[in-house]
Amino acid sequence: MNFHLALQTVPSIINPDINFALIAPELIISVVAVVVMMVDAFTRRADQRWVTGGISLLGLGAAAATVVWLWTGGAGATQSAFNGMVVLDKMRLSFTLIFLLISALTILISMIWIEWERLPAGEFHSLLLFATVGMMLMASGGDLVILFLGLELLSIATYVMAGFRRTDLRSNESSMKYFILGSFSSAFLLYGIALVYGATATDRGVPGTTNIREIAERLDTAVYPQLLFVGAAMLMIGFGFKVATAPFHVWTPDVYEGAPTPVTAFMAAGPKAAGFASFMRVFIFGFPFVATAASTGALAHTAWLNALVVLTILTMTVGNVVALVQSNVKRMLAYSSIAHAGYAMVGFVAAGATPDEAQRNEAIAAVIFYMLTYAVMNLGAFTVVTMIARNNDRRTAIEDYNGIGFEAPTLAFALSLFLLSMVGVPLTGGFMGKIMVFRSALNQGYVVLVVIGVLNTAVSVYYYLRLIVAMFFRERTTLWSAPRLSASIAVALAITIFGVLYLGVFPGQVLDALRTTRPTISQLINR
Amino acid sequence: MLENLLTILILLPILGALGTVAYGLLPSRRESHYRWIALLFSLATFALSLLLVNGAGTGDASAGFRFEQNVSWIGEIGARYHLGVDGISLWLVLLTTLIMPIAIVSSWHAVEKRGIAFYAFLLLLEAAMIGVFVALDLLIFYLFFEASLVPMFFLIGIWGGQNRRYAAIKFFIYTALGSLLMLVGIIALYFIYGSFDYTIILAQMREGRTLGGTTEYWLFLAFAIAFLVKTPVFPFHTWLPDAHTEAPTAGSVILAGVLLKMGTYGLLRFNFALFPTASRYFAPLMITLAIIGIIYGALVAMVQPDVKRLVAYSSVSHMGFVVLGLFSFTDQGMQGALYQMLNHGVSTGALFLFVGMIYERRHTRMISDFGGLGHSMPLFSALFVFASLSSIGLPLLNGFVGEFLIMLGMWNSTSVQYPWMATMLAATGVIWAAVYMLWMLQRVVFGPLTHNKNAHLSDLNSRELGLLVPLLVLMVVMGVYPRPFLERARASVETVRARIVAPQGEGGSFTVQAQRELEHLPEKR
Repeated sequence: MNFHLALQTVPSIINPDINFALIAPELIISVVAVVVMMVDAFTRRADQRWVTGGISLLGLGAAAATVVWLWTGGAGATQSAFNGMVVLDKMRLSFTLIFLLISALTILISMIWIEWERLPAGEFHSLLLFATVGMMLMASGGDLVILFLGLELLSIATYVMAGFRRTDLRSNESSMKYFILGSFSSAFLLYGIALVYGATATDRGVPGTTNIREIAERLDTAVYPQLLFVGAAMLMIGFGFKVATAPFHVWTPDVYEGAPTPVTAFMAAGPKAAGFASFMRVFIFGFPFVATAASTGALAHTAWLNALVVLTILTMTVGNVVALVQSNVKRMLAYSSIAHAGYAMVGFVAAGATPDEAQRNEAIAAVIFYMLTYAVMNLGAFTVVTMIARNNDRRTAIEDYNGIGFEAPTLAFALSLFLLSMVGVPLTGGFMGKIMVFRSALNQGYVVLVVIGVLNTAVSVYYYLRLIVAMFFRERTTLWSAPRLSASIAVALAITIFGVLYLGVFPGQVLDALRTTRPTISQLINR
Repeated sequence: MLENLLTILILLPILGALGTVAYGLLPSRRESHYRWIALLFSLATFALSLLLVNGAGTGDASAGFRFEQNVSWIGEIGARYHLGVDGISLWLVLLTTLIMPIAIVSSWHAVEKRGIAFYAFLLLLEAAMIGVFVALDLLIFYLFFEASLVPMFFLIGIWGGQNRRYAAIKFFIYTALGSLLMLVGIIALYFIYGSFDYTIILAQMREGRTLGGTTEYWLFLAFAIAFLVKTPVFPFHTWLPDAHTEAPTAGSVILAGVLLKMGTYGLLRFNFALFPTASRYFAPLMITLAIIGIIYGALVAMVQPDVKRLVAYSSVSHMGFVVLGLFSFTDQGMQGALYQMLNHGVSTGALFLFVGMIYERRHTRMISDFGGLGHSMPLFSALFVFASLSSIGLPLLNGFVGEFLIMLGMWNSTSVQYPWMATMLAATGVIWAAVYMLWMLQRVVFGPLTHNKNAHLSDLNSRELGLLVPLLVLMVVMGVYPRPFLERARASVETVRARIVAPQGEGGSFTVQAQRELEHLPEKR
């Protein structure tokens, strides 16, 4: 009967404006993922690694090419398709490029690990590609439903990847924890979506909406504003879990520590960036800044912004302080990834706070730049960690790094560079990233937030340096021989080292490209 | 080429570092060649840096920047690659390029392991230090300021003494914490003035766009803490004895010779010029801290059993003089402070070289392990005494000129209520310096030979003599004929001083008196 009612109230069923060009990158990756699975079945075991890896890389390259094509206006002036389900703007495209880069690097890093562990390469690669599609959908969705779809696709693929080493208990535990807590958070997110849907129904009998743009338009006419607040809070918890903000971070260390190192590398960079893509889109454009102070929209905006400030401070502080006492490198990097989410959120707060469109775009660009630099340095660091850990993730304690500095100078100096970049030492990407987010926050007057961020950076110096100290300033007590660098690892290292230095010394071009990240939604909702 | 000279000066050491690494990749490499490559590049840098002398801040009152380079670096955030050198930075750049070859030669035999990395880090450090002194864009300045930490961190940590890990981490964290707050200050300045460029910000300030009261105080503190830690001024000094003592000889020489000056240079260049009102407001506090540093550093130096630690604490005392001179806001005081920066670099650098030399021979630095070195190493002892006297401030040697000017300036200063008291307290520092240095000399150099091991130590060889001679000659030249140094710096120092003593549009008794003083200046010259 409800269905009947709904039919009556909706004027007419709108023809979905199908536009495949807009989802071309997602389509390509999906198709390649299926192809990889098929090819895997018909390839000799010894060749699987290279063949499926190669196809995946080609697919990622092709998708990147389509993204560039879309970026340069290949799809014309269209800004959304499928009834606003999918949007096309440069915020989405720049995030998509970051995801593609992360996946490509993950493939390169995992090549040697697959060989060590004798794992089914095809399965791994296709799972990775499906996870990538999930991330891309999280960036491209203009509708809460698409975002949820992307998030689930990503999550399920990563649950499996975390437990990919079936015979290893640590991997199993990691996968299980991730699965249980992850589904819990998905439930929060879904419930939040449902509540927002309910709240945005208007009293004229029009049903609610999950479209982000329409949510923003209906905030002030919502019949059940309380539901809106509860729904937004639940959305925040759901995304906060994905991004690993304190206090929703508790899963991160366990999962990161237990998961195979290349998968950890992927999880720390990819889903985090994807989480930010959705998180920012939903809150900055779904619950935007409203000029009139007394309206529901303004209240919602203030509420989430204040909550986000608290989350940001907690995230930075918890991540950095707890990282100080870790003795396992992967666990330490897990807490460091929490801290970095906190720094990026400083930019997010700035983007949410400003009514000015240019400043908002700049703040969003700062967050995207931060995610890019974090992805590069994080994947670089995990490349080295993978190589040092060897098969079965044997050597991941900080003591295992003692005195390897001059035994394996390439790895050790590369890792030092990545760690220094995470500290934010000038001439590295991490420095520019921090400058950008702190800058946009200062521009909005968040002096205290920035000072807390800076003090946290000072705290972080200690634990990053600890690893460098272990590598260079301590003596090796046990016998150890440097691992031989395989070609794929060498390429991954070259890309990440180049990336960190390039983003640190000549960030101009990238920043320039990102500055044009004009989310189209923002233009539509500027009432 | 001359218009790119500063860039070349920064790039040449980097090139040298890359060259060292590239040579290390060759199959036919020889461990002994790294130091030659490094020496070659550092000497070339020194030679090129001499070209600066002709152009920068000569004689006349023009205090502007020479050899300027100004191109867009990151257009997106308005950061520019803006370099330039004036009378203040000129001497500091020259000090850097002079100390570096000496540091390299001093580690000729001392560094046995991992020569590639050692010399590469030294050269990278040189590039960063030159960059600090010539940067005119605040972001570029910060970049070099922070970048200089990393090579030093590795130098202490890998080639340092027993307690090197602790010292290296402490050094890094202390200085990073200080400078990170400066970064916030820099970004805040950017939002107020729309530029990271020092000259543009200054021009806007001169036009009357001054900072408001509290903002200026906060920004002053954000910058000052970074520099006070680096200098180091009394409560922030604890990293220094550790870092100095644990660092290899070359590291200590550079640390004392150049790195510490980055702090006082920053105060002079940025704090004074950008935040004049706050500088005056905080001057009594700074002078108090400086005096505490002078006396405390000297007293602690007196009781050190370790020669190197003694020299390190004497640095705290000497740098206290520099800060004192800077905050006197008088012509003599500030020039004396700049001069004292150079003196301290030369004298203390030399003292660390001497300590390194006896350490190489005996593998100990404890005063009690020595005694009567004059019998076994006459040449060494004579020169060691010479350099110590320069550090104490004996007339006709360089230390005297700087300290005398500083105290003269402080006496006339209007920045505190009882300048004569500050001067007298500071003057006791000179006496303490004589006490701790001479007492140390007495126990190390004079008297009978107390340890058999010391009886057959070889005296200075030609390499050691060669690397000491330039410093010893400078001590005499700077002590006897300081005019060329002071003259080139005068106009630039005066420009900075003019910001503080005559801020536009503000009255008050202080300014009136300062104004009067300014009017008398031409006669003094």
